[in-house]
Amino acid sequence: MIFTLNGKEVDYKGSLNARLLDVLRDEYRLTGVKCGCKEGECGSCSVIMDGLLINSCMVALGRAEGSTIVTIEGYSGMKRFAVLEKAYASVSAVQCGFCIPGMILASECILAKNPHPTEDEIRLGISGNLCRCTGYNSIVNAIRIAAEEGDGLW
Amino acid sequence: MVNSYIAESLEEALRIRTEKTVVPYGGGTDLMIEAPDDVSYLFLGKIPEMKNITQDAKYIRIGAGCTFTEIIESSLVPDILKDAAAGVGGPAIRNLGTVGGNVGNGSPKADCALIFFATDSKLRLMSAGHERILPIKDFYLGRKQIDLRSDELIVEILMPRSGYENYYYKKIGARNAQAISRVSFAAIMSVSDGRINNCATAFGSVSDVIIRRNDIDAMMTGKTIAEASSVRDAYLAAFDEAIVPISGRISAEYRKAVCMNLLRDFLDKNGI
Repeated sequence: MIFTLNGKEVDYKGSLNARLLDVLRDEYRLTGVKCGCKEGECGSCSVIMDGLLINSCMVALGRAEGSTIVTIEGYSGMKRFAVLEKAYASVSAVQCGFCIPGMILASECILAKNPHPTEDEIRLGISGNLCRCTGYNSIVNAIRIAAEEGDGLW
Repeated sequence: MVNSYIAESLEEALRIRTEKTVVPYGGGTDLMIEAPDDVSYLFLGKIPEMKNITQDAKYIRIGAGCTFTEIIESSLVPDILKDAAAGVGGPAIRNLGTVGGNVGNGSPKADCALIFFATDSKLRLMSAGHERILPIKDFYLGRKQIDLRSDELIVEILMPRSGYENYYYKKIGARNAQAISRVSFAAIMSVSDGRINNCATAFGSVSDVIIRRNDIDAMMTGKTIAEASSVRDAYLAAFDEAIVPISGRISAEYRKAVCMNLLRDFLDKNGI
């Protein structure tokens, strides 16, 4: 079963029933993909599949055949990531950090769809990503700052 | 070793469905919660025939494989269905989950299924060499029991094209995102030339199956708003008797009270 993972084509030989989250972590050692709830509630396992934010715990490998998947490890090499990283740091939007890989990828999907989102659009875009530390306001702020600072990148 | 299958076309999917014992896998967002090891999936995500949203003279035809995000972004889909799709899970769930799965899951809490009940939509079910068009009400047989044969797939949902511009929809959940409804209610009040030509209500998350009582709603048919007001009490009393909620995480009493409040609010908003 072939799919593209962080820019490289991979040929996965295991079961089509395997959970993408487990395969990413255990087979490809991409441990930036976090396991929080395994039922699509928390968003910590978020990755980008074919340009859309998805929960990797909700995907069996058979559904991912031929897909393009980007995890935080692949995304962290991009210029857009650097802008988001700086923006998150500037307002202390990261505390324990567990939700942040998913939150950053959700931020990317918000800005990719709409480079200048309103606050409501930002909140909607991260509404499937739970954060127990920040209370969300600093994260919303960080995404707004990234939209300004990264103008033209998205 | 359990085998799962990836179908590239509807024809191939129907053939596998006939030959093997498989669980149809649309978006997977319900299936992957349990995800037992010994299940054999039939992956439907690549089937182009199930991804279309089109319209013909009578229906908006929604491919069962369309995701909630695709529903929300379609120019053909009416707002009543978009509202329900927008209330499913969060963005990442809406990017994967499909309307076919929402219906096929058999749950009375399914957000889009509620709308298909309120709009008297139909399902197009196919097996190799055969198809059935079934009113959604007939598809649900009981709690998690659906009329889908082991060789069939839900291929399309057929929504009547118009008649629900004036609608009412509320999902009561613990929070806005990532919430399973505690009570959901969709209703339509269509008035032309001063008379009600369609009053349709559907109650979700209340009983084993979504409640749709065309017979009670028919009390409003053909009436002016003033005439409808005169039967309001009888109409409410009929639903008060018809809605028999089950207790679960929340009590039957709560569900009943919310249903009746929503129904009254719907009538109030329409001047009845």
